[in-house]
Amino acid sequence: MATANLPTSHEHIKPWTPPTFWSIAWKALRRKPSRMLGLGILVFYVLMAVFGPMLYPANLPTNPANIYASPSWAHPLGTDFEGTDVLALIVTGSRYVLYSAGLAAFFTVSIGAILGLVSGYFRGWPEAIIMRIADFFLTVPGFPLLVVLSTVWNFGNPVSMGLVLGLTGWAALARAVRSQTLSLRERSFVEAARGLGLSRRQIVFGEVFPNTAPYVAMHFLLAITGSIYLEVGLFFLGVVPFSTNNWGVMLNLAFSQAGAMYSTRALPYLLSPLFCIMSLTFGIVLFLGAVDEVLNPRLRSV
Amino acid sequence: MGADLKVIGNADQDAQVECQIRDLTVTFTTDSGEFPALNHVNLDIIKSKITAIVGESGSGKSTLGLAILNGVAFPGKVTEGSVDFAEHGNVLKLRGKALRHFRGPVVGTVFQASQNAMNPLARVGKQILDLGRSHHYKDPRKLLHEAENLARRMAMDPSRVLTAYPHQLSGGMRQRMGIIMALVLKPKVLLLDEPTTALDLLTQSAVLEIIRSIHRERHLTTILITHDMGVVAEISDYIVVMYAGRVVEQGSTHETLRDPRHPYTRAILRAIPRLTGDLNRARPLEGSPPDLTQIPATGCVFRSRCSYRVPQCDLVAPILESVDTGHFVACHQEGLIRD
Amino acid sequence: MSKFFKRIGKRIVAGLVMILAVSSFTFFLVHFMPGNPVQTKLNTLIEEGIPPLQAQAQVRSMYGFIPHQPLYIQYFHYVWQVLHLNLGKSISYSGVPVMHLLLKAMPWTVIMVLTGLAVSFIIGITAGVIASVKRNSKLGDGLLLLSTFLHGIPQFIMALGLAYVFTTIFKIFPFGAPYNAAISPGFTIPFIGSLARHAVLPIAAYAISGFGAWALTMRASVTSVLGDDYILAAELRGVTPSIRLRYIARNAMLPLFTILTLSVGFMFGGSIFIETIFDYPGLGYTINTALAARDYPLMDGAFLMITAAVIIATIVADLLYTVLDPRIQRI
Repeated sequence: MATANLPTSHEHIKPWTPPTFWSIAWKALRRKPSRMLGLGILVFYVLMAVFGPMLYPANLPTNPANIYASPSWAHPLGTDFEGTDVLALIVTGSRYVLYSAGLAAFFTVSIGAILGLVSGYFRGWPEAIIMRIADFFLTVPGFPLLVVLSTVWNFGNPVSMGLVLGLTGWAALARAVRSQTLSLRERSFVEAARGLGLSRRQIVFGEVFPNTAPYVAMHFLLAITGSIYLEVGLFFLGVVPFSTNNWGVMLNLAFSQAGAMYSTRALPYLLSPLFCIMSLTFGIVLFLGAVDEVLNPRLRSV
Repeated sequence: MGADLKVIGNADQDAQVECQIRDLTVTFTTDSGEFPALNHVNLDIIKSKITAIVGESGSGKSTLGLAILNGVAFPGKVTEGSVDFAEHGNVLKLRGKALRHFRGPVVGTVFQASQNAMNPLARVGKQILDLGRSHHYKDPRKLLHEAENLARRMAMDPSRVLTAYPHQLSGGMRQRMGIIMALVLKPKVLLLDEPTTALDLLTQSAVLEIIRSIHRERHLTTILITHDMGVVAEISDYIVVMYAGRVVEQGSTHETLRDPRHPYTRAILRAIPRLTGDLNRARPLEGSPPDLTQIPATGCVFRSRCSYRVPQCDLVAPILESVDTGHFVACHQEGLIRD
Repeated sequence: MSKFFKRIGKRIVAGLVMILAVSSFTFFLVHFMPGNPVQTKLNTLIEEGIPPLQAQAQVRSMYGFIPHQPLYIQYFHYVWQVLHLNLGKSISYSGVPVMHLLLKAMPWTVIMVLTGLAVSFIIGITAGVIASVKRNSKLGDGLLLLSTFLHGIPQFIMALGLAYVFTTIFKIFPFGAPYNAAISPGFTIPFIGSLARHAVLPIAAYAISGFGAWALTMRASVTSVLGDDYILAAELRGVTPSIRLRYIARNAMLPLFTILTLSVGFMFGGSIFIETIFDYPGLGYTINTALAARDYPLMDGAFLMITAAVIIATIVADLLYTVLDPRIQRI
């Protein structure tokens, strides 16, 4: 930016410029230390998921002589029932959890936003059909539905997992976006766009969508936490066959194979994935406060 | 206690004071600092008369109404002053039960948002009985009978309105119900905050007529908070003009409207279009209504919108001074303002 | 009153349509399952030497399907059976009617979840009221923080955590069965005591993980009602605190009753984790074990039952709202 090089003595005559998105975001983050903490946790887990697995061999070594070891320098979180390092399991397992949860949130939000916009803006039969399907997904309990679906569809790999969570989870967002679109389409700026002869696609995605974006963005983050619970839950119950290691698989093995419920020696093995799931979702919830403030200008303090 | 309140310079020799407000200061605390909503307000409310408190939004008139009930709530706080009632002393000192039995049986209130001043889930009659129970009425039937009489006077079918839920009544009916709920406990003071704002003109004049006749009949002391000069001129005996938390002019309605002395009073009177006369003579009030956060700490609060401004206005806040018997104005240039 | 019945009638029709949709879903699910279990079962029976006609009859009673009929006839047959509450026969329980198994599982779920729901509702709304009324104090902040924290913990983590702390670390409660197998079932004090002891942790897990949502919802509801004009008006009319509290409570609770009714509907399916972790033989446990045993008729039956409960709850919630809120036109 050229203006940044102006001498500071001219500051008092510099015309007022609206703050940039990033400066607002930074200010919102700085307002509460808990939000910085949330961001820190998020960055930590994303780095772990992206780079962590590179630090370990593809097949983690087992050691039958050293099962359920207590935490030590060599094994900071102890070892599991095969003598594998729990920390290594956590790090390599994080990629699946974050990747599929991110995909799930992406699919949920894309499907929900598009169907919501279409049914709210075009009305008529598309609306009728989309909303009936949404009713179906809102009525049918989500987790049992996933369990039943797992009998016909082996959605264990991260992309399928993301897709199935997206396909079953879009309805609430679609309803919300639809009702926002219904009120937006009557507003003057949309009518003006219609008057200017913009195409319907331009109006829906250029004029209406940006106004629903804050809500959609919030929903994206919430969908990540929701998806983490669901996928970890599915693996924990053993509904989906294991293909790769992840936190849900660890919980399942700790609970059903390792007999963690009957002895305290498996405590670190059971607790580590629990702690990771909790801290990651709390990181997201804390960070959400800052996002809310950036996207809803009314919450910004004067 | 405070039984003998002195009347300051009133033209009417027989006038008695019902409520005496002294140095009343209310401060609102927000994230960006403290703001005075009321600034050293001094006022005498005369017994058995209608006193109108007039001002734009942000003038502090509604806060004054709440302070009279000792009802200023967070983030506002009474930081100074007193509100003395003839037989009850300083109400700002009342707490708990004493305060509860002051609100209602002594001062009946009709609220600004009277449309929404009733519990939507209970029938109107039930809410009147709740009032009776709150104030230890021995005979609920008598209370309902009183409510029925009042409803009849206000041209409503008592058996219908008392068994209805609030949402089943029209806006005007709910407004009249609000007045009934204020009067049913037979208070001696009636406090009305914008009682006619949301009503159409015909209902408005009907409601005003009812207020006036009941005021006379029960010898009520009535305090009418409004922004509507037409209403003031129609029914009030005294007028108090407020601006940015201060009283800028007060006097008898007749005298004040005939000879307004404060530039602000003159401006709001000029802004009223009249049915008779030249519409072009109505001039809108310039500038924007006072913003609590922008009130200058020193000098006259009205100076930024005033056409009579002199350097003194920036430095010294004018105090309320008598210009005539019972007519007070807070303006440095008062002597120069003549048509 | 006719408007009221019209509304309810509409709701019931919508509910029936939804049940039809869900049963179609389970029909096609089983039909298009990889390796078509119906056909496979039929083939095995024939291979075992059972005459084809008899084998067909067996498969038909098991899945509600007639393998050699055209698809639409199979479909209508299946839906017809579902509407007559005939959900086929279980495979893993060798031919016991699914409905029978479900009716046996239901009390476990209902008693556990209803108790948990009642506990979390009562504690949650109490905490919500306090958190709202005292929202500018340390107590209010603390309750808000606690509710947010507990709301953020998924049910299976709560159940695992409780199980671990109270059965493994501190051996206070028994683990892994609905009652002590050494005590013979019956209406006796030791048996009921054993039932209660085994139910404490599942109920606690359900109640604690539900608490946060109730507290947060109630807090928001009370805060909004406290800002309403009629509450301030009542205070300035000198209405007693107890009557005012009644005004606040009734208005703030109104939206929560709808959610409560819906929760009762969702509870049948909402406890798969808790029932699995604590080996509690309710509907959720049934779904999970049926899945493991590839007992599709039982799994689909349980799924249909769970969904039907939600649909019925939606209708009841609507009815309840009409009764509780006078603002909804009843004439």
